[in-house]
Amino acid sequence: MGVVHGEEMVLNIGPQHPSTHGVLRLKVKTDGEIISEITPVIGYLHRCFEKHCENMTYDQVIPFTDRCDYLAAMANNFGYVVAVEELMELKVPEKVEYIRVIMAELQRIASHLLALGVYGLDIGAFTPFLFMLRDRERILDMFEMTCGARLLYNYMWVGGVSHDLPKGFVETAFQFLDYFEPQIEEYNKLLTYNKIFIERTADIGVLPQDVAISYGVSGPNLRASGVKWDLRRNDTYSIYEKFDFDVCIGDGGQGTLGDCWDRYYVRMLEIKESVKILRQALAQMPKDGDVHQALPKKIRPPKGSIYSRTETPRGDLGFYIESDGSPIPTRVKMRSPAFTALSVLGELAGGWMMSDVISILGSLDIVLGEIDR
Amino acid sequence: MSVDTLFDFLGSIIPAMEGSGLLLVIAILIPCLLLFLVVAVNAIVMVYAERKVAAFMQDRVGPMGQGVGLHAGKWGLLQTVADALKLLTKEDIIPKNADKLLFILAPFMIFIGAFVTIVAVPFGENVIVADFNIGIFYILAMGSLGVIGIILAGWSSNNKWSLYGGMRSAAQIISYEIPAGLSIIVIIMLTGTLSMQGIIQYQAGGMFNWIIFANPFSFIAFFIYFISVVAETNRTPFDIPEAESELVGGFHTEYSGMRWSFFFLSEYANMLVVCAVAAAGFLGGWHSPIPGYFDSNGWGVFWMMSKIVFLIFVMMWFRWTFPRLRVDQLMNICWKVFLPISLINIFGVGIWTLVFG
Amino acid sequence: MSKYFRDIYESLSTMMTGLGITWMHMVRIRKNNVTLQYPEEKWPRPERNIGFDHSNYNVIRTKLHVDIDDCIGCLKCERICPVQCIKIVTEKAPVRGDDIKDIGHVGVTSNGSRKALVVTRFDIDMTECCYCNLCTYPCPEECIYMTGGPNADKHPIDYEFSEFDRSDLIYRFAKPGTKEGMNEVLSKDGAES
Repeated sequence: MGVVHGEEMVLNIGPQHPSTHGVLRLKVKTDGEIISEITPVIGYLHRCFEKHCENMTYDQVIPFTDRCDYLAAMANNFGYVVAVEELMELKVPEKVEYIRVIMAELQRIASHLLALGVYGLDIGAFTPFLFMLRDRERILDMFEMTCGARLLYNYMWVGGVSHDLPKGFVETAFQFLDYFEPQIEEYNKLLTYNKIFIERTADIGVLPQDVAISYGVSGPNLRASGVKWDLRRNDTYSIYEKFDFDVCIGDGGQGTLGDCWDRYYVRMLEIKESVKILRQALAQMPKDGDVHQALPKKIRPPKGSIYSRTETPRGDLGFYIESDGSPIPTRVKMRSPAFTALSVLGELAGGWMMSDVISILGSLDIVLGEIDR
Repeated sequence: MSVDTLFDFLGSIIPAMEGSGLLLVIAILIPCLLLFLVVAVNAIVMVYAERKVAAFMQDRVGPMGQGVGLHAGKWGLLQTVADALKLLTKEDIIPKNADKLLFILAPFMIFIGAFVTIVAVPFGENVIVADFNIGIFYILAMGSLGVIGIILAGWSSNNKWSLYGGMRSAAQIISYEIPAGLSIIVIIMLTGTLSMQGIIQYQAGGMFNWIIFANPFSFIAFFIYFISVVAETNRTPFDIPEAESELVGGFHTEYSGMRWSFFFLSEYANMLVVCAVAAAGFLGGWHSPIPGYFDSNGWGVFWMMSKIVFLIFVMMWFRWTFPRLRVDQLMNICWKVFLPISLINIFGVGIWTLVFG
Repeated sequence: MSKYFRDIYESLSTMMTGLGITWMHMVRIRKNNVTLQYPEEKWPRPERNIGFDHSNYNVIRTKLHVDIDDCIGCLKCERICPVQCIKIVTEKAPVRGDDIKDIGHVGVTSNGSRKALVVTRFDIDMTECCYCNLCTYPCPEECIYMTGGPNADKHPIDYEFSEFDRSDLIYRFAKPGTKEGMNEVLSKDGAES
């Protein structure tokens, strides 16, 4: 008697789907409900970002970097601007550094709130999504106050920022932080420690440390597997060494180390750490200073190339810029953290059920704009 | 009882046709049409209530309309009417390779499953279309017809996702009928009768005579029954078959327009039926909680409806609070948690009645 | 075995906590409501105002507007636009700083600079515009700006500019008839001199 083989079904979680975070196509081979193989197909959102950059001056590239990872646009701006300034060996005034850190940390909170809310939505909890978006709106209001835009800012320029913080920004920010910290407790009670949520996410999609490191995963996904690696500590840029914050790693609180619950929880902890950094930065920021002081008249970096990386909410964003002395870069390459996170999906999802794949995909927090550029 | 009284009444006002078969048919049709009206109005009100309850729990206001003209009335009362009109005017798409007959038949099967059970539900002291002496047994049996409709919908859409949804749903509904039925047995053991009116009459005399308070085991039985019927009507946290983020729409993905609204009409009708059974069986039916207080004949409908509305509200409350369970966890809970507890309940109620009389 | 009972207990307790939170939110809806009922209520809502009216914003991103009388035709905005949505064509004015009445050309801007060029075409394709605001910074006369906000005294705020036809979204700021009028003026000048 041989083994009875069931038919393997090839399913398509198509480009249009409520819970693939963008236009992503997943080719899934299943046997009944159990998945045997997943192949992501990307490229639906490719907009030739890197080719565009070869035809524009350095400051014209900044609105385009916004649109790559559109949910954390400040972080993209920051990464690019740090790279160009390092190439030009330009030093920015201290107030500008503080403003950049404040904006980047606010953006981190906003992006994590969205990631967590949408993850809850994929799991089926509709209410935490709306609560988190309500709080994210307050952060976007603060951004609107400063640079006029809510999602795609074009705020951080080479050598400075586009506008100084408006009067009353610091008070509003402190008000927001005082309002927001108890809300984190509410989210924990409503979703994080909810038994049904724990059943859906704990012990699922376990990413072992060595697999994570070999794939190049970074950011909260890596930290949830227990690796203490944060670019704000390990490869410091800007003024992050002045602030006192912990690097949060997962600890297998409700199951194995590196499962989906850990990735969710690390993001929740990072929000708390960002609040800490924000309080310190807002208190220590110099009150006066000209933010336009170091803006160069013409951005002409010397001949050479540079690769520099920063820590975005999704991980380790790298920019490789090559210049030949003219105002237009020869080559700009963006290394996106979500791309590596998506590539590790194939490793994680074998052997789980269909609902678990959705759960794992949500916990990796990918943004197709960044993957496809 | 209503059908008989209506039959005699009609016979008395139209002496020419008294006692004829045609009059009997008319006497049956009129309450059924009234019931259909009740179901339709119930659906309209519940869709609106669901959206408002969802909105209030999420710190927003839901459908509103503050002006006249194109807006949906103040407080958005006309929202469901607007939705119904929109659905009526939608294009009726049947997928090319779908099994056409089954595709068209499926929504009707589900609706029949829900509607056929409503005839045995008591809404008031004399307000019941058919007072069977096997009332509750009939409701449980006929409630299972809905599964056929779901499987047909999933199969005939010629879509792998719908098939998944249909299969999951069928497994879920069939499994959860068992704890529900076993909890009903607790009621039957205490009251000794299967007839709905008989069960309600057993609970006369105020709140502490209700079956839910008779016995700690029947208290637990109420919760087991309630959660089982939340699973049977495919509501969150058990709404895997229509899980929007996973299967786009589950078994009703390929349906559009009025056919799709039939699925939801029958889901709400199902909710009405199971909440009515819970109210009648455990919460005292059309009796008022305090004897003698608003207890006269007309008030029965009011008490019954308020208990049903409360239970439906609790179902909506569950939907907007909890995440979804995965299919195997769902089955796990049914077979490994609810079934043993229901069996222990039956045992416990028996012992309790024996010991304490 | 004890895990079984602990699971049941944990499920019930976390469910009760969750239900409590949503109940509290539901009964406090009047205080907590965050919906802005557009179009009856427009931004910003006074009760929820974070203390800023849009006239207090540093910078705003709305519809672009050009005060064509102030434009000196330097083409800085056209060069810096990342998506090349601004198209400007200029002609040399016969006399610098003079008004040309036939086409409505004003010779001196409101800042006092004398114009050497006549702008015959100034088109902004709003369907291409990415609202990055880069064009507003280099303008020496500050004649291109986004309406409302800090520019509210020059032009009231306008962010509801949807059209039925896509070609209506190409804004032509040059005064109509400028090109033909200039051709006439130049040919007249040429004939004269």
